[in-house]
Amino acid sequence: MVIDFSSNLDYVRALLPEIILCVWGMVVLMAGVWRGESSEEGPRAEGLGWLALVGVAFAAVANGWLHGVREVGTDGMIAVDGFRLFSNWIFLTAALLGMLVSFAYVYRQRLQAGEYYALMLFSVAGMMFMAGARNLIVVFLGLEVMSIAVYALSAFNRRDRRSAEAGLKYFILGAFSTGFFLYGIALTYGATGSTHLPTIALAVSNGTAHGALLLFGVALMGVGFAFKVSAVPFHMWAPDVYEGAPSPVTAFMSAGVKAAAFAAFFRVFLVSFQGAYESWYGVMWWLSATTMVGANLIALVQTNVKRMLAYSSIAHGGYLLVAITAANQASAGAALFYLLVYTVMNISAFAVVIAVSNHGEERLEFEDYAGLGRNQPGLALLLTLFLLSLAGFPGTGGFMAKFQLLLGAMDAQLWVLSVILVLSTVVSYAYYLRLAWYTWMRDPADGGSPLPVYLPIGMRLALVVGAAVVIWLGLFPGSVLDLARASAAGLGVAGPMVEILH
Amino acid sequence: MIDILFYVFAALALGGAMGVVAGRSPVASLLFMVLCLGSVAGIYVLLEAHFLAAVQVIVYAGAIMVLFLFVIMLLNLGHNYHPDLKAGLWSALSFAVAGALFGFLGRQLWGNRTMTPEAGDSVDALVAQYGAVGAIARPLYTEWVVPFEITGILLLVAIVGALVLAKQRV
Amino acid sequence: MNPPFAILAIVQEGSETAVEIAFEPFLPGLILLFPLLGFLVNGALALVSGKRAADVARAGGEWTLPENDRPSTHILPSLVGPGVLFAAFAIVAANFLRMQGAGFESPVVVTYWSWIVTSTFEAAASLQLDQLSMVMMLVVTGVGFLIHVFSVGYMKDDPSYPRYFAYLNLFVFFMLVLVSGASFPIMFVGWEGVGLCSYLLIGFWFKDRENADAGKKAFIVNRIGDVGFLIAMFLLYNKFHTLDFGPVFASAPDTLIYGGSLVTAVTLFLLLGAVGKSAQIPLYVWLPDAMAGPTPVSALIHAATMVTAGVYMVTRTSVLFALAPVGGLVVAGIGALTALFAATIALAQYDIKKVLAYSTVSQLGYMFLGVGVGAYTAGVFHLMTHAFFKALLFLGSGAVIYSIHHALHHTHKDWDAQDMRNMGGLRKHLPVTCVTMWVATLAIAGIWPFAGFFSKDEIIWYAGAAAEGPHTAWYVLFWAMSLVTAMMTAFYMTRMMIMTFHGENRTGEAERKHLHEPPPTMTVPLIVLAVLSLLGGWINVPEALKQSWIGMFGALPMSEWLHHWLEPVVGMAVEIRADHVGEFAKSAPLGGGEVVWAGLSTLMAIAVVVASVAFVRKWVILPATESAEPAGGVRRLLYRKWCVDELYDRVVVRPIVAGSRFLWKVVDAGIVDGLVNVTGSLSRAFGFVGSMFQTGAVNTYAFILTAGVVLILWAVAL
Repeated sequence: MVIDFSSNLDYVRALLPEIILCVWGMVVLMAGVWRGESSEEGPRAEGLGWLALVGVAFAAVANGWLHGVREVGTDGMIAVDGFRLFSNWIFLTAALLGMLVSFAYVYRQRLQAGEYYALMLFSVAGMMFMAGARNLIVVFLGLEVMSIAVYALSAFNRRDRRSAEAGLKYFILGAFSTGFFLYGIALTYGATGSTHLPTIALAVSNGTAHGALLLFGVALMGVGFAFKVSAVPFHMWAPDVYEGAPSPVTAFMSAGVKAAAFAAFFRVFLVSFQGAYESWYGVMWWLSATTMVGANLIALVQTNVKRMLAYSSIAHGGYLLVAITAANQASAGAALFYLLVYTVMNISAFAVVIAVSNHGEERLEFEDYAGLGRNQPGLALLLTLFLLSLAGFPGTGGFMAKFQLLLGAMDAQLWVLSVILVLSTVVSYAYYLRLAWYTWMRDPADGGSPLPVYLPIGMRLALVVGAAVVIWLGLFPGSVLDLARASAAGLGVAGPMVEILH
Repeated sequence: MIDILFYVFAALALGGAMGVVAGRSPVASLLFMVLCLGSVAGIYVLLEAHFLAAVQVIVYAGAIMVLFLFVIMLLNLGHNYHPDLKAGLWSALSFAVAGALFGFLGRQLWGNRTMTPEAGDSVDALVAQYGAVGAIARPLYTEWVVPFEITGILLLVAIVGALVLAKQRV
Repeated sequence: MNPPFAILAIVQEGSETAVEIAFEPFLPGLILLFPLLGFLVNGALALVSGKRAADVARAGGEWTLPENDRPSTHILPSLVGPGVLFAAFAIVAANFLRMQGAGFESPVVVTYWSWIVTSTFEAAASLQLDQLSMVMMLVVTGVGFLIHVFSVGYMKDDPSYPRYFAYLNLFVFFMLVLVSGASFPIMFVGWEGVGLCSYLLIGFWFKDRENADAGKKAFIVNRIGDVGFLIAMFLLYNKFHTLDFGPVFASAPDTLIYGGSLVTAVTLFLLLGAVGKSAQIPLYVWLPDAMAGPTPVSALIHAATMVTAGVYMVTRTSVLFALAPVGGLVVAGIGALTALFAATIALAQYDIKKVLAYSTVSQLGYMFLGVGVGAYTAGVFHLMTHAFFKALLFLGSGAVIYSIHHALHHTHKDWDAQDMRNMGGLRKHLPVTCVTMWVATLAIAGIWPFAGFFSKDEIIWYAGAAAEGPHTAWYVLFWAMSLVTAMMTAFYMTRMMIMTFHGENRTGEAERKHLHEPPPTMTVPLIVLAVLSLLGGWINVPEALKQSWIGMFGALPMSEWLHHWLEPVVGMAVEIRADHVGEFAKSAPLGGGEVVWAGLSTLMAIAVVVASVAFVRKWVILPATESAEPAGGVRRLLYRKWCVDELYDRVVVRPIVAGSRFLWKVVDAGIVDGLVNVTGSLSRAFGFVGSMFQTGAVNTYAFILTAGVVLILWAVAL
């Protein structure tokens, strides 16, 4: 099937997953309202969750169907290429796992299920717009749809002061950074006369773009993205927000938002600004180096699990920035693969945290994990697996992903950055293992018997899926890796075209 | 003449924006914001975007700001002002950083004031063909329909988010 | 066919000279699958029993293992754990026999699936079956099986028995991955995996905070070495664009410049990895602490297998080390220095496991010396014999600790079960253990005809023989150091044996009645290992010694069997060395041929053993609790009896003891640990400063954000 954007109707087909998600978001919203007051009771709230998952499933079917679709030309607002579709799979995975780990939390904390799941669906749609955008305006709108939904989700638990604080903080700083981002778009438009990514690429590479304007446009857009991927020094919001937000939301956004921001980051910088590589290469180099080193060192001294995972998430952003610095096909493919693995292992690790924190915000200190290995050996085993994968232990998906990133960096001759990556990974072992050590090798300080852990079916499903994927991608990454690499090759569509037009 | 007017409006807009931040009471801040938005509308007029200017005045300065004013007065805010910027080192540092930011932007952009002319030409042609409203409406519903629809979603999300956070009963 | 287990390809053609049938591997995947299966079964059992214990704990009680009528979770591991090892060993042995029947030069690579694939790089999950990996697998599964059997007796009363076997099986699995992987990434998987299992097993009795810390120390120190491994790997990748052993080593002599900076850097980084894993200076500090784990673990991981991974790695990459003479020299230097250094420390230890731990470090130093001077076969040979006798020594010490511990437990005496001052005279109570451990002691002391004699002597000989060539002074020094170390080894091992098994028993009247030989599950492995320690050396009698008394005047059917066996693996490296440096000398630095020096060294060892037997037996040793504060009367008694010894003590022993105390207390515990601590606290301090900015105030965050923007604009504008 061929999609030709000269007819606007084809957008309906090209945007099928996004449209399904948006429509389904409204359906879930309506269902929540229709259920009325009783919707806050446990099992029914779970019902809304399953309903939302049906929407995710439909979107997944649509996304699968798009794999068989061919696009004519590159002048649409939306790209129909492998990069977008693979990114969509990542977001759908994040949505699936994020919702599964939310079920018990939502009804134990008496959150409004309809709005909760609807906002999640909307934010996933926003992520998809970002990853698929071929126009800076669409990038911006996708970013805002995603962000506003996530701001609201962060502050969702109104009974919890920290949640409200997190939402407000995220909102204010997010708006602040969005201002820079928008200014960057404006300057880029001023420099190149277009917001269409391939056109910008053309203007940048053949030198018709306005030098100073473009440079500042690139820099400010870089700032906007760096904020969203929480690169040091634009990371300050992340630990507070991740700690304060409801844990399932933290799980969802630390994976999904980051993946979306990186997807757009890659597309904009690798497609449009490839021609200005020399001017942003140095900045990205330093961003990734400071992010890797800083985040890992600070994570060492954390005693709160959510905060530790927040810094870990920042550190993973640093590893991915290495791929942007390398800016080659191999790195882009590696980054896609990395994002998928990271999404799965990070949300899964959070799943364990949510279960241990009793589907609330209790028991979040390292100390609280003492004795887990004895009381919940299965859960502790899974936590250890996810932590090892996050650290990049061989045999897990995390290792494979990091290995691919390193190979990409090697191809780009980024020696020093590769060494920093390896060394900071070594540092990261210390804090991941510290948690594992508390889990297995410490008895509870008070000696009392810890509260039982409640594992509803959704949580069990998420944990099993997470563990299976982490192991599978560690041992047999071939097919997924091939797909990721082929998908990243689609990113280069604009590349060769630029050369032909020269 | 147009240049002079532009600078006047620009100065008013910037001054208004400063006033929003610096105003002591919320009502004053709000009125400064009306000034700022009105000045921007004036700049739109100078750019011959009359429709935009009208929309700006009606929607922003008219509807939204008045709504804000109502809310503020209803809630009787404005008497519990606390300075949240710590004096001394922090504010000095903040001014230094902000100054550096503007300095950089200014230095880089000062010598490059010429803009690419093509964009303006195409807008003129559109206006000539479809009129001021059509020049916006046509692209909005054809070429830019996707962003337009996404904006719709964005507003929906914003409303849902605001409702969730502001609803009386928890 | 089921893809993961199907043999997709048998790469590389057989050798042209092979007239016999080609080697066809026999179900090699099962070698790895069996231990993995054991891990899964035992792991499941461990989860079940852990859950049960937790349930009891929640109800307010503490779950204890019933004396009789054990639950199935504590019976099955006894069968599964050693069972899978035996199955794996059987398959390895079958392959070994097949390989012997067949003649082939190039290794057989069995590929299971493509593991890491990119446009420029490919690494398959594949096993390399060649002579070297076969020897290693035989040692790992064979000795491993014996240690598993021993563990059945040693650990059976532990509440976490199934978890123990799960870890142990997992360790063997990763160790087999390490030695049989056909590329650097696969080897790295095993490399990391054994480190993880070691961490888990050292901290097995984690209730003790100290043990858990020892586990962490081992893991972190090992990671430092791993960075070296990774960097070396990427340097190689950048040059060869592949990380498979076959292509890299085949093209290395043509691609890399002899003595060039790249190959030197690669070898030095590889060495860093090996030094970490094999506990050499300066990264040896973790191994003595690692003795906190159960004793069979020390035998398996910290004596026989994992710690020898560094030696295996240098042998595997022998081509690279041959191309980098500086790398080889550094390996040899580190080996010789570690051997001597650790031996001096072993002289002064009272903890029986600490003696063995430092002895292990010292013997690993020998192996490094061997592979460093280019005598790869000698290194692997010593690795093998060391696996026999050191596993035996550790298991024997385990048997001793087991029986002392039980005796103390009976009378509720709060004494250290590992302190040799609390032992003595155990010969009567543990005769089998005593005899087998003496066999191992004579082996490690290097006395003919025990296994250690042949392997250690070969290393010393080659260290001396390497002196004919560049860096003569260094190699003469290493040779001298290795000779001195050999003497010290004979002394401290004899001292340990005397203090443990001979003289008067110091455990106590009441306790003595409860001292008895451990059950046959523990003694039978000791006997088997003793036989191996006695005969294991005969497989590689040097050609030059075959006709002399050392080779029993040519009565042996073969000589230098291991040498010929490993020829295809290390042949290229030996050739490179011969081309650039020349052949090994035919005489030692002081003159004299191989027979003379072999005879001399065994005579010296015997002399030291005899002298120290006489010497140590005269010591008056008090139980640890009394030695700390000796009573005046006892001291006087000591003084009178030791009139002659006192002089000797002052002139020889005390300086050595003081020196080794100094090394142990100040250099080891003080400086090295201090450095590790400083690095840790520095990074922690940085982290603290970093989180100080995390004030929680939005204003501050916005300020820093803007400052970041300014920085970036500045960077872009300039």
